[in-house]
Amino acid sequence: MDPRPYHFLTAFGAGILLSLMVLFNGTLATYGSLLFASWVPHATGTVVALVFLALMRPKKASKARPPLWAYAGGVVGAFTVMATSYTMNTALALSGTLAVGLAGQMVFSLIADARGMLGLPQKIPNARDWAALALIVAGSLILIFFGGAA
Amino acid sequence: MIWFVLIAFLGGASVSLSRQINGRLSLSTSAMHASFWNHIVGFGLLSLMALAFGGLFAPGTAEAPYWAYLGGTIGVVFIALSSWLVAKIGAAQTALLIIAGQMISGVVLDIVMGAPGNPLARIIGVALILAGMWLSQRKR
Repeated sequence: MDPRPYHFLTAFGAGILLSLMVLFNGTLATYGSLLFASWVPHATGTVVALVFLALMRPKKASKARPPLWAYAGGVVGAFTVMATSYTMNTALALSGTLAVGLAGQMVFSLIADARGMLGLPQKIPNARDWAALALIVAGSLILIFFGGAA
Repeated sequence: MIWFVLIAFLGGASVSLSRQINGRLSLSTSAMHASFWNHIVGFGLLSLMALAFGGLFAPGTAEAPYWAYLGGTIGVVFIALSSWLVAKIGAAQTALLIIAGQMISGVVLDIVMGAPGNPLARIIGVALILAGMWLSQRKR
């Protein structure tokens, strides 16, 4: 499925939220430990998600139970935090961590799409997708290394 | 150095893997359910780590500004949105557009907060990202 304008805006908006999240959690980490700065947002996030679920009462998409591994997203997320906080304090620094992480994200996403990995729809990128990918990755790398985005 | 690069690469790949897993959960439940499970499972795991290794509370923690505690609230919305998106438009498109939003708003935040940076690099970087977004959005 090609992205519609509302998918497009939602993803872009999610990226803005991510910037704010990094800023807020990063600020917390300057006052407390790294573990604290990851533990607090998970604790408050759990409570806030419960409130949202109670208010929105979203319908479950299917009666069939999801596989047990589908609940492991948070475990993988905890690994992300550990891996990035580790490499940030090596020769890679923040800019290297962001740049190499960007590559890891894109390579994994493309393989996941091509294979329809983990039960999500298969999606083969076309020439235009590759060109868009090259432009966005190039722009991001320039910002990371030269723009002071790090 | 190769070791650091490998860990950083796996760190990036794990962002996409986690999103793929949460996206799969949202197909059976809902995006908000996926976000809830992501947070409570992460909370449980981090609590166990705090119990095992300690070091959760450091002096100075209480002095953090109140808004620094809002990251979790934003994270809930972020995970719900990205779980929904990845099942709709695929992992690569989701990752690319989120990165675009993160990069451009990062530049805006840097400028607002007065962080030093090269204006020319910022202009070129943002222009390339906008061009890529325009290209991926154009009608086929």
